Amino acid sequence: MTIRNTLRDHGQRYRPRMACLKKAEKMLLEMQDPDTGVKSQPQRLVITTIPHAITGEDIVAWLADRFQVDTQEARSFGSMLVALGYIYPLQDHKRLVIKPDASLYRFQTPYFWPTQQWPVEDTDYAIYLAKRNIRKKGILEIHEQEQYNRLHKWMNHKWDFIVMQAKEQYRAAKERKKPDRVVFDCQERAYWVVHRPPPGTVSGMDYGLDRRVDPNADEVTGERREIIVLHILSCSLVKYCATYHSHDPFLSKCLPSNPWQTDDNTYWTLNMHNVEIPTKMRVERWTFSFRELLSDPRGRDDFRLFLKKEFSGENLAFWEGCEDLKWGTATQMKEKAEQIYKTFLARGAPRWINIDGKTMEITVSGLRHPHRYVLDPAQTHIYMLMKKDSYGRYLKSPVFKDTQKKAVCPEEHKFSDAQLEQNARNRRPSLSPIILRQQEQEQRAKMAANAPVDITQVMSKLSKQGKDGKELPPSRRTSKT
Amino acid sequence: MSRWRRSVDELAARRRQQAECERAQDALGRVTSCFQQLAASLGSSADGSFLRDELDETRAVAHRICRGLARRLLRLLSDCDSTPSGVEDRRVSERLWVLFLSALENFLSDLHKASDLIGQFPLTQRCDRRSLVNTGCVDGVVGVASRVASVQVPWLTLEEESRPDLTNHMAGLEVMLAEMQLKVPVAFWSVEATQPAWAEAAGDPDDPDDSLERLMEVQLPNRQLAACCCWPA
Repeated sequence: MTIRNTLRDHGQRYRPRMACLKKAEKMLLEMQDPDTGVKSQPQRLVITTIPHAITGEDIVAWLADRFQVDTQEARSFGSMLVALGYIYPLQDHKRLVIKPDASLYRFQTPYFWPTQQWPVEDTDYAIYLAKRNIRKKGILEIHEQEQYNRLHKWMNHKWDFIVMQAKEQYRAAKERKKPDRVVFDCQERAYWVVHRPPPGTVSGMDYGLDRRVDPNADEVTGERREIIVLHILSCSLVKYCATYHSHDPFLSKCLPSNPWQTDDNTYWTLNMHNVEIPTKMRVERWTFSFRELLSDPRGRDDFRLFLKKEFSGENLAFWEGCEDLKWGTATQMKEKAEQIYKTFLARGAPRWINIDGKTMEITVSGLRHPHRYVLDPAQTHIYMLMKKDSYGRYLKSPVFKDTQKKAVCPEEHKFSDAQLEQNARNRRPSLSPIILRQQEQEQRAKMAANAPVDITQVMSKLSKQGKDGKELPPSRRTSKT
Repeated sequence: MSRWRRSVDELAARRRQQAECERAQDALGRVTSCFQQLAASLGSSADGSFLRDELDETRAVAHRICRGLARRLLRLLSDCDSTPSGVEDRRVSERLWVLFLSALENFLSDLHKASDLIGQFPLTQRCDRRSLVNTGCVDGVVGVASRVASVQVPWLTLEEESRPDLTNHMAGLEVMLAEMQLKVPVAFWSVEATQPAWAEAAGDPDDPDDSLERLMEVQLPNRQLAACCCWPA
C-alpha cells in the first residue's frame, strides 16, 4: 500500500511524452540483428564464459555507420543510450558513458528498460537495497545506506513485506545457473544506477516536473475554435523555426566559431553593440521583423541614421524615451515623464510626434498622475507607425543597402587540438558590466547633445523663415554622427 | 456452551486463520519473486515458449493464492472484536492485510511490465526471434519453475481452477485492490515493522563470498586475478 502524494501535485501527475525511448528501442532491436547488428563476443570470467558482450568501439563504429555521422556524434549518441539504460558497462559500472575502446558493454534486458508509462517505484528500490544488504552483509555505500534508512522510515508499514520479498527474490535468483545469475545481478545493478543515481550524477531519465495532461490518453476532441488556434500557433512556430534555423548556434554553424566550443572570442567581438561593421547574419536578422531590428542596438543605430536622413527621428526618440521610463528607476519617473511631455507631446514641442487625438487625450490626462506605463498607448501607436511605414522604407533605403553591402562574413575557424588548448589557456574575462554601463551612458549623453533634426523643427524653421522672407537650407543644424 | 468457552474457541480459530494467511503470504512472496525472475528474461535471448508457459503457470498459482487470501483476510477483518485480546488480534490481522495489499500492488506492477513486454515481443512467428535482445542470458529458468511448483498453499487443492488470461487477471487484481480498500477501513500507516532496520543482513550464512565482484573476476594472462568491475577510485 503506497502513500501517494496527493496534496502537492497541483494537478500535475503524468509523466511526459518520452518519444526518444521508442526510437531508442527501435534502434536497439536493429543492433541485435545477427548479420547487420553489432558484433558480440563472449566475456571470459574465472568461473564461466558469458556471451553477448560488445565493445565500446564496435558500438560507436556501428552507430557512425548506420546514421552516417562522425565519431564524435556517434559517441555522444552511444553515451545517451547508456545513460538511458539500454546498454550497460561491465567495467566501471557507475560511469554511464561509452568509451570508444575495448571496454565491454552488454544490452539490458527489456524488463529493465526505461518506460514512459510505469514510473520506477520506491518499493522496488527498497527491495533491491534489502537484497543487497543480505548479500553484502550490511556493507552498502553511503548513499545507499542513506536511502535505506529513509525508505525504512517512510515505508515502515510495508517493511516486513519488503524484507520478505527481498529474501524470496534472493532465493529465487539462486535457482538459476551461475552465469545467468551473474548476468541478472549485473542487469539489476545497472538498472538502479540509472534510476537511482549515486550522488554527484544525474539520472538520464530525469524529466523535471510531472505534466498536467496524460500523453497516453486519447486525444480530446476540443472545440473547433481551439483547433484552429492550435493550428495557427503551430504554423507560426514552424515558420519561426524555419526562419531562424540558420541563425541558431545549436542547429547551424556559428561563424567564425562558437566561443563556447573553441574559446575564441571573435564571434562576440564581431557582434558587439557598437561595432562599425556588422556581420551579414546580423543584418539578415534585421529583415525578419521590426522587433528584431529595434532590439539589436546596432540595428537601432542604423535605423536612427535612416530616420535622421528622413527628418523623422522623433518617433524613435519618443519610443526610446518611453522604454527608458518603463524600465527606469522609480525615483526619476516623474521628471522623465515631464521631460518627455515637454519634448514630444506638448503643443509646440520641439520634437512633436504625430499621434491621433484620442490617444493624445488619454496620454495627457494620464500624465497628470504619471506612472511607469502611462505612455503605453502612445508608445504602441508610434511603434506601429514606425513598423508599418518607416520600417518598409528603411529596408529599401540606400542606408540599409549600404550597410548590407559592407557587412562582413567571417571565415570559419579551423582550430587544431593544440590551438584549442592554446585558446583555452588564453581565456580572459570580458569588460566589467560597470564599465559597459558607463560607456552606454556616455553614449546616450553624447547622442542627446547632438540631437538630430526632425521634420517638425525643419517645418517650423521654414515657416519662420517664410515669415522673415529669408531662405535657410534645412540641414543647417547638422550633427556629427 | 459458556460465553468464555465460545470466545476461546473463536480466538483459537482466528489464530489458526492468521497462521494460514501468513503461510499463504510467504507462498505468495515466493511465487511473485519467481514471476519476476521469469519476467526478467522476456524479450531477451532466453525468451521462448517454455518461458511463456511457465509465466502463465506462475501467474495461475499466484491468482489462486491471491483469491483465497483476499477472501480470508476480508473475513478476518470484517468481524471486529472489542475485547483486549481482540485488539492485539486485530493488529495482527491489519498487518497481514497491509502486507497482502503491498504484495498485490507489487505483483500488479510486474504484471503490467510483463504484459507490455509480451505485446512488444510476440513470439508468434519464427522471424520474431531475430528481434530478441542478446542479453547474455541462456535459459536457466528450470530451477525457478521447479521452485514455483514446490509452493504449498493450504487451499490449493480445495478450490476449483479458473485461469484468467493476462488482461483479465490484471483487471481482476485492480478491481480486487480497489474493493478491498473500500470494504475495510484499515489505517495502513499504523502498522509497524516487526524487525528493525538492517536486521536482514545478519542472517543467511550460506554463501560466504558469493558477491558479484568476486564472480566477475577475470583471469589475466599472467595468472593474476583482477576484478572485472572495479569500484571507481
